[in-house]
Amino acid sequence: MIDFQNVSFTYGAMEGQYPVRAVSDVSFTIERGTHVALIGRNGSGKSTIARLMNGLLLPDEGLVTMNGKRTDDDRNIYEIRRECAMVFQNPDNQIIGTTVKDDVAFGPSNLGLSRDEIWARVDASLQLTGLSDLKERAPHELSGGQKQKLAIASILAMRPDCLVLDEATAMLDPEARHEVMALVKRLKKEEKLTVVQITHHMEEALLADLVYVISDGSIAFYGTPAEVFNQVERVKQEGLDVPTHLEIAHLIHQETHVPFDSNELIHFDGAVRYVREALDSTSVPNQQNPSKEDMQVEETAPILEPEEGDMSEVIKVDHLSYTYDTEGLSVLPALDEVSLQVKRGEILGLVGHTGSGKSTLIQHFNGLIRARKGKVVVLDRDLSDKKQVSGIRRHVGLLFQYPEDQLFEETVALDIAFAPKQQKKRPDEVERAVLRAAKRLGITEILDRSPFELSGGQRRRVAIAGVLAAETEILILDEPAAGLDPKGRDDLFRDLLTLTKEGVTLVIVSHDMEMMTRYSDRILVMNEGRVAGVGTPFEITQDEQFLKNVHLETPPSKRFLDEFSDLVPQKEKIACFCPLDVKNALLNAIKDLSVGGITHG
Amino acid sequence: MLGRSIPGDSALHLLDARIKFLAAIILMVAILSIQDPIIMAVFLIWTMMLMVLSKIRITTILRSVRPLVFIILFAVILHLVTVKGHILFHIGPVTISKEGLYTGAMTAMRLILMVINTSLLLTLTTMPLAIADALESLLSPLRYLRFPVHEFAMMMSIALRFVPILMDESAKIMKAQSSRGADYDTGGPIRRASGLVSILVPLFISSFRRADDLAIAMDARCYQGEKGRTRLYTAKLYPKDIVFLILVLFLLAFAFVGPKLLGGFF
Repeated sequence: MIDFQNVSFTYGAMEGQYPVRAVSDVSFTIERGTHVALIGRNGSGKSTIARLMNGLLLPDEGLVTMNGKRTDDDRNIYEIRRECAMVFQNPDNQIIGTTVKDDVAFGPSNLGLSRDEIWARVDASLQLTGLSDLKERAPHELSGGQKQKLAIASILAMRPDCLVLDEATAMLDPEARHEVMALVKRLKKEEKLTVVQITHHMEEALLADLVYVISDGSIAFYGTPAEVFNQVERVKQEGLDVPTHLEIAHLIHQETHVPFDSNELIHFDGAVRYVREALDSTSVPNQQNPSKEDMQVEETAPILEPEEGDMSEVIKVDHLSYTYDTEGLSVLPALDEVSLQVKRGEILGLVGHTGSGKSTLIQHFNGLIRARKGKVVVLDRDLSDKKQVSGIRRHVGLLFQYPEDQLFEETVALDIAFAPKQQKKRPDEVERAVLRAAKRLGITEILDRSPFELSGGQRRRVAIAGVLAAETEILILDEPAAGLDPKGRDDLFRDLLTLTKEGVTLVIVSHDMEMMTRYSDRILVMNEGRVAGVGTPFEITQDEQFLKNVHLETPPSKRFLDEFSDLVPQKEKIACFCPLDVKNALLNAIKDLSVGGITHG
Repeated sequence: MLGRSIPGDSALHLLDARIKFLAAIILMVAILSIQDPIIMAVFLIWTMMLMVLSKIRITTILRSVRPLVFIILFAVILHLVTVKGHILFHIGPVTISKEGLYTGAMTAMRLILMVINTSLLLTLTTMPLAIADALESLLSPLRYLRFPVHEFAMMMSIALRFVPILMDESAKIMKAQSSRGADYDTGGPIRRASGLVSILVPLFISSFRRADDLAIAMDARCYQGEKGRTRLYTAKLYPKDIVFLILVLFLLAFAFVGPKLLGGFF
């Protein structure tokens, strides 16, 4: 259906700019009715390949054909775009109509269909995507997930054969992501669509028939999900991730050498079955197995030690309530009697589904929203007093989602200098502050460059450095890893962790339960404006039903370990939120068992 | 105010957008030329009729006057203090005359009625895209002067669509820069103006990116300008549309010749 023959593409080749080769010598064929996933790091050329498919970009060399029609033939272009429709990443930037129904009608009206036919298709598309009730709404009244479903509905109205999803779920929370993916799965089946999906979420790639790993503009390797993801090392070398259950199974395989069936491992249940089998068939462990001491060293998750020296409270929130002004309409309060404390040097994870009040809460921490009912005390300053607010911002850094959008200066150095300059520091002090912040985030090399020519991950670091350059004692980040590929995400979190060693207190807001449990000292769960729970990652993830009630996922490592509750006692599970820890806990468990068995015998 | 249309199926909602657009302009001219209090009363009754017909809550309608409250107050005060005539009373050095009070009240009524009429006919009861389509249709004679009518209408409707998004975005950027110590509330005009750079540059850049994304999304959905495109909202005119237009034209005539007619009666 889609055919690439030795396709190359270079950006800026025609405009006389510095050329950037995005795709080089790529050949592949996508068969009708298949589901293909393209994975790869940020900037690897995935999106460019997608845009070459329907003639949004034309190859410099080679040939792209769609249902036998060449994309470089002007006569075919609109037919190709109708057959091969695309959903993009940013929900806001692809909705053209001022109401839901107008947007769905946009595509068909470009095809010159009759008005009756257009409205019939609009109704059918909205029905298929479950948006019929929102027909008359304006796009900005929809949630992120609804917007992406609208984008899909708008495309379905053009009756395409092929659906290209260009990171279409990247900006959604987990719940919305699952809903959109369920919709895509259903459409693939019912409407017999070919699906091409670009994604950073390996769980989504598992649903595909074929996975292509893209690296530096070409196909590094490809195969069925089983073929690709069972090459754990190779996938990781590409800066990507393998699904957690698969990684655990492979770690167990390395220790036990029990053979596995790769098709089975890609499913959660299959991986659990394999691990169970492998553990059962393992004889008394030999010396190579990790001892307790090794495990301590390898542990990546920090364990909370309450008796540590300076644990004074840097943020104290007491019975805080807040309701937004909405012109006389009665709405639920965004915050309702919220109380919490954050201790110096800790990492507090703030989790909760969209609209649970997280973002309203963090804006109280540096006085962007002033406390009206209740009390907010940050670094011993009462923020309900307006005079205290201006002084607090140099000590409390706050970064919203996609903070790189706030960069505006000509060079990275000037942008980072913005905060210290606002504090009227002497030039040499400003320079010192800039250098120190740049060093902490590993961006000293790019200080002279324009922030607008950097990659997404680098710009994110510049934005964080721009906040750290003040005398930041508390750093608050909203979804710091949003949109980054797995390696970029892990690198960023590692750098953030080193900040806490220098005494910076971190408050991280995220949907990603796996990251949060792995890195936080404590987790605070928000739900409907209230604090639904607070505790260590271990305590918070104990009750699966609780997590379900507050619309959160159980982190996959924990879910995996729960399958072995007969082997691993509760107390051993405390710090198991990454595959390595899970493996160690499992191996220790059977070691203890066999040791126990010997004593009994 | 922009893009705040309220969905509904009242008689006013169902009128043709082109007719509503023309009617709004005609009524604006008519109301601005009212000199006589009796004719003002007639237009007040007409406006109240429209309000009932629209089936929109009265508080929502009155809210559309709010952005203009200062202008209205300013106009009234200007008339109060400048118009000379029979002195009613003094407030300090200012004298308030009977004529000043009268012209002030008439000005306020003219402005209020004008705003309510236009927002009832256009912003509140007409979908923005329908307004854009109506404009395209009304401007279509300009096509012969090589004016890009369709492109202009498309730009209008996209602008309408992005107003709320850009408002959210500027609020977000302002908060982000405030978190970095930017202060937009204090300091002299130069300091404030330089502070704006830190909001405007990111806003422009993100607008360009959005424009780029949107252009690609439109391309991907086969947009090729006006060529071969079905217009969604240019429905044919019904008798009720014509009747409404005649009624509005009659009101215009009444606003002009009314005083003479009434003069004949009294």
